Amino acid sequence: MRNRYLTRGRYLSILFAAGVAASVGGIGTLLASDHQDTPEVELNPRMDINDVYAFPGSSPDRVALVLTTSSPIAGQTASFDPDLLYQIKIDNGGDANEDLVFQITFNNGVGSAQQVRVVGPIPPPAGPGTVSTLSNTTPVVEGAVNSILGSATGVQVFAGLRADPFFIDLEQFFNIIPDRRPSTGVLSTQTGPAQSSFRNPGVDTLRPFNCLAIVIELPKAQLISSSTSTDAKFGVWATISR
Amino acid sequence: MNFTRLVAATPKRAIASLISLGLVATAACNDNSALLTGVNTNRQYVQIERLGNPLVSEVFFPKRDHGLDNTKSPIDDTQPMTNRGTDVPGHIRAFASAFGRSEKIITTLGSVLAPDELLVFPNRAPATAGWLTWALANGYGGRKLTDDVVDTGLTAVFGNILDPAAPVIAGLTSDNVPPSVRSFSPSFPYLESPRP
Repeated sequence: MRNRYLTRGRYLSILFAAGVAASVGGIGTLLASDHQDTPEVELNPRMDINDVYAFPGSSPDRVALVLTTSSPIAGQTASFDPDLLYQIKIDNGGDANEDLVFQITFNNGVGSAQQVRVVGPIPPPAGPGTVSTLSNTTPVVEGAVNSILGSATGVQVFAGLRADPFFIDLEQFFNIIPDRRPSTGVLSTQTGPAQSSFRNPGVDTLRPFNCLAIVIELPKAQLISSSTSTDAKFGVWATISR
Repeated sequence: MNFTRLVAATPKRAIASLISLGLVATAACNDNSALLTGVNTNRQYVQIERLGNPLVSEVFFPKRDHGLDNTKSPIDDTQPMTNRGTDVPGHIRAFASAFGRSEKIITTLGSVLAPDELLVFPNRAPATAGWLTWALANGYGGRKLTDDVVDTGLTAVFGNILDPAAPVIAGLTSDNVPPSVRSFSPSFPYLESPRP
């Protein structure tokens, strides 16, 4: 099995080949989301945040937070970038600034030999904003990627390879809004007539591919204190810094 | 002097020290138990990527502005670009106006999506969780793995859910890829196992 990150060109070559194969089989054409939204992250997929999720956890008093990155990955060997700082940020004050952060970093192991270190939720060590420093706080969780770490009643973490959860007919999206096309590869240029509507059925473009995921589940009280008001809220976003 | 003579001429204690240093260095390089790789509290990390709500940047921002959006914070999202902001409401207006969408749709989307944070009301019923349900149905909000955010976003812009008087643009309210194309787990870590 060939396991590696795909540059946009490689990715699209495979998509093109898969599309040809699928067409021959009468299935339809497979072609290639915030996936690869700038030329820089096209070239460096591990800098790319694909999606952010936040939903109820395994019990009503718990919340799950998910950050996905690096899609599309073909194959099953991939590693987080040890030189990057992955953060999930929480605004529980309603002022559009982060009050709490999770800092997620990785060592330079490869594949399943890689180790993850999670600190948080803590106030941002350098204050809110786009410049961050690492906290030397004791990690809440550390250990091997591709394994479930921590406690099911405290902070629980999974960091590792998963199937990309995002579903979209991306090729048709680019045919409708050509400006959003990637900078390189087959989809960077118009391959057919411009479209003004989606096709039916659509094509689940990202179906074959994997991503690197960071999943953190914790008691919601760690994010909104002990408030029981139904208006208690927090905002979530993720960042990658280097 | 060749290598054999050099070694022979080198005091044994010096060789032992060199070997010892080499072993220590090797051990340090291979020590995965030392998980503090990269923990340097003096190092400054500069943000190069950001994401809150899905589709905000991808749909409403022209490609040339994606880099700007990635290097900003939610507090910048309501500021005009002339004030070094990302002007999410302005980007929404420009995009939706190009498709002739109504003022009500434009202002509603601007107020819901800026600042660009995925809003969660965790004390509300978990069954009401879903993207923008906090705004549309007084729900939990957040974003579930099964949420069809593409259809939700398309329907908000091109349908009449936000403005019953607005015309529906046929063919643009769904990409026709349903959530059933995925099989998420009900238990942690929820995402599907990797593809082969």
